[in-house]
Amino acid sequence: KITYFQSILSYNGGCVVAMKGKNCVAIASDLRFGVQLQTIATDFERVFEVGPNLYIGLPGLVTDTQTVAQKLQYRTKMYEMREGRQVRPQTLMAMVQNLLYERRFGPYFVEPVIAGIDPSTNEPFICAFDLIGCASTPGDFCVAGTCEENLFGMCETLWREDLEPEDLFEVISQSLVNAFDRDASSGWGAVVHIIEPHQVTTRRLKCRQD
Amino acid sequence: MSAEMLAMSEYGRDPRKHHFSPYADNGGTTIAIAGDDFVMVGSDTRLTNYSGILSRNQTKVFPLTEKTMIASTGCWADVLSLYKDLQAKLTLYSQEHHDEMSTPAIAQLVSTVLYWRRFFPYYVSNMVIGLDEDGSGVVYHYDPVGHMEKLRFSSAGASVAQIQPLLDNQLGALNMKDAVPPKVTKALAHQLMHDAFISAAERDVKTGDSCIIYTVTKDGVAEEQVKLRRD
Amino acid sequence: MSSEPYSFSLTTFSPSGKLVQIEYALAAVAAGAPAVAIKAKDGAVLATEKKHKSILIEEHSIVKIENITNHIGMVYAGMGPDYRLLVRQARKIAQQYERNYLEPIPTTQLVQRIAAVMQEYTQSGGVRPFGVSLLICGWDNDRPYVFQCDPSGAYFSWKATAMGKNYINGKTFLEKRYNEDLEVDDAVHTAILTLKESFEGQMSSDNIEIGVCNKAGFRRLSPAEVTDYLANIA
Repeated sequence: KITYFQSILSYNGGCVVAMKGKNCVAIASDLRFGVQLQTIATDFERVFEVGPNLYIGLPGLVTDTQTVAQKLQYRTKMYEMREGRQVRPQTLMAMVQNLLYERRFGPYFVEPVIAGIDPSTNEPFICAFDLIGCASTPGDFCVAGTCEENLFGMCETLWREDLEPEDLFEVISQSLVNAFDRDASSGWGAVVHIIEPHQVTTRRLKCRQD
Repeated sequence: MSAEMLAMSEYGRDPRKHHFSPYADNGGTTIAIAGDDFVMVGSDTRLTNYSGILSRNQTKVFPLTEKTMIASTGCWADVLSLYKDLQAKLTLYSQEHHDEMSTPAIAQLVSTVLYWRRFFPYYVSNMVIGLDEDGSGVVYHYDPVGHMEKLRFSSAGASVAQIQPLLDNQLGALNMKDAVPPKVTKALAHQLMHDAFISAAERDVKTGDSCIIYTVTKDGVAEEQVKLRRD
Repeated sequence: MSSEPYSFSLTTFSPSGKLVQIEYALAAVAAGAPAVAIKAKDGAVLATEKKHKSILIEEHSIVKIENITNHIGMVYAGMGPDYRLLVRQARKIAQQYERNYLEPIPTTQLVQRIAAVMQEYTQSGGVRPFGVSLLICGWDNDRPYVFQCDPSGAYFSWKATAMGKNYINGKTFLEKRYNEDLEVDDAVHTAILTLKESFEGQMSSDNIEIGVCNKAGFRRLSPAEVTDYLANIA
């Protein structure tokens, strides 16, 4: 029997992509939870709501996805009670950086992606991290997960500046679905959040199931 | 010579195993798109060794006959070796048959040649492209040991991860509601190939410098070179 | 060590339910040099008296108004050495906040955390409460803030207030003079006049200190600037 072990980051599969639009941002992920080549669940959400206009995707090792999500929830809720205000996207970025770098030599195997709108300025914000908390804040899109390279190819071609919410939904959905259809570790359905200053639209996508 | 001195000298040490790696990855990306009466194939022109650039102007598409070409990337030594081997076999064939080998026959030959080296394979990603006996475009895609698949479009090489999902979407009309695959014109194929190379050059260090696009029709092969980013 | 006898806090309840140590601390504050804070429309002002024990002292080697961050300033009434410790703590708290959240600490947060430090010194073993009350002013959320922080750990937000020697007269004066439309320049004037209520001798840039906070940040005025303000009053 031939067995092989990929990196810990790709043990469970999964991917996340975030994109900027005109006065809006979007974040989307697949729904597969697998163990190497075996699929365990097809309804696993790896994007979490942090605030009314703020989401974080945590692709990587699922046990760490859940731990990091819980630790962040603890820290953000404590912040909200202490300061009596919502966490801003920039602030969440700093919190994630600290959370991950605290485990610099025994890291959580997740590569988070943040998408949100600043509640005071309505400015769209996206950023992505490596597993020890090095953040980057590009002006177009962020990708992470097992089909990261596929996502780069799709996003690099389909993304345009100043996308309206409906167009942003189309671009991020096509980018995600066609990228993970060429990756055995990701897919099995997708969820897309379109974030605007005063509303968030969440949609589930029908996809090929293989 | 004393025992101590023998132990200290290079050749006097314990036997050691030295590793030899017969393969190199020299990068390179190819795309092929078939139309009704043409086939278009393109490659980038960068040749790399790790992060070093060996050449900025090296095509990875080679002519086999008047209407057949091979696009080959991976270990550059194997690419050249395989191409020489195929050229020799095709020359023999044309001398014996007084005719050029057809594209489907070449496609089968490439598969066989690759499988001959099943246990010491050519480290190459291949595509054979050409016009079949009816004059319509065909693309054959291979794995390194000769598994062959006939396709309408495909990509191969370093940036396949970035490019293939895009082709699936734009040419295969996958995940597009109520959409049918578009009629592939030369303009569409050219546009898409160009966009795909630009995107790949943006995100993959092994792809860049420029791309050469060949268009095979019954009238022969047209060639065009387009610049890409060089960093 | 908390396991040792008599290591409990000095701040122990009296039978009537009072914490007399804290009242003594407040007495130390009330005996200290006066300090004034005023919130204006476009900023906030801190001012304090700085009398020297001897004419031989280098006047400007001692400063009482300190920056905590670029946008927050602090002054005190009470015991100088206790204040220095709180300034160090406050600066450390502010830097830790910025390290955690990549943004300057909001004034309210700084005040809450300094107050927590002061409260801790009323309940810990082997320590005494701080002999100071603080006036903290800052600028964030596009508006000024003025806070007072007491030895007990209690804190208050003021439009204007005075503390230290003669603080009751100072506050009465402010109640008469304060209005909501004050601008920073007027507030500096009012602050100087409040100090003047109880000031003995001639005011000069050597014996008062003024700090100003607006959207550009907090800074202590130079002696020349203080002299200019004093000239306008006389």
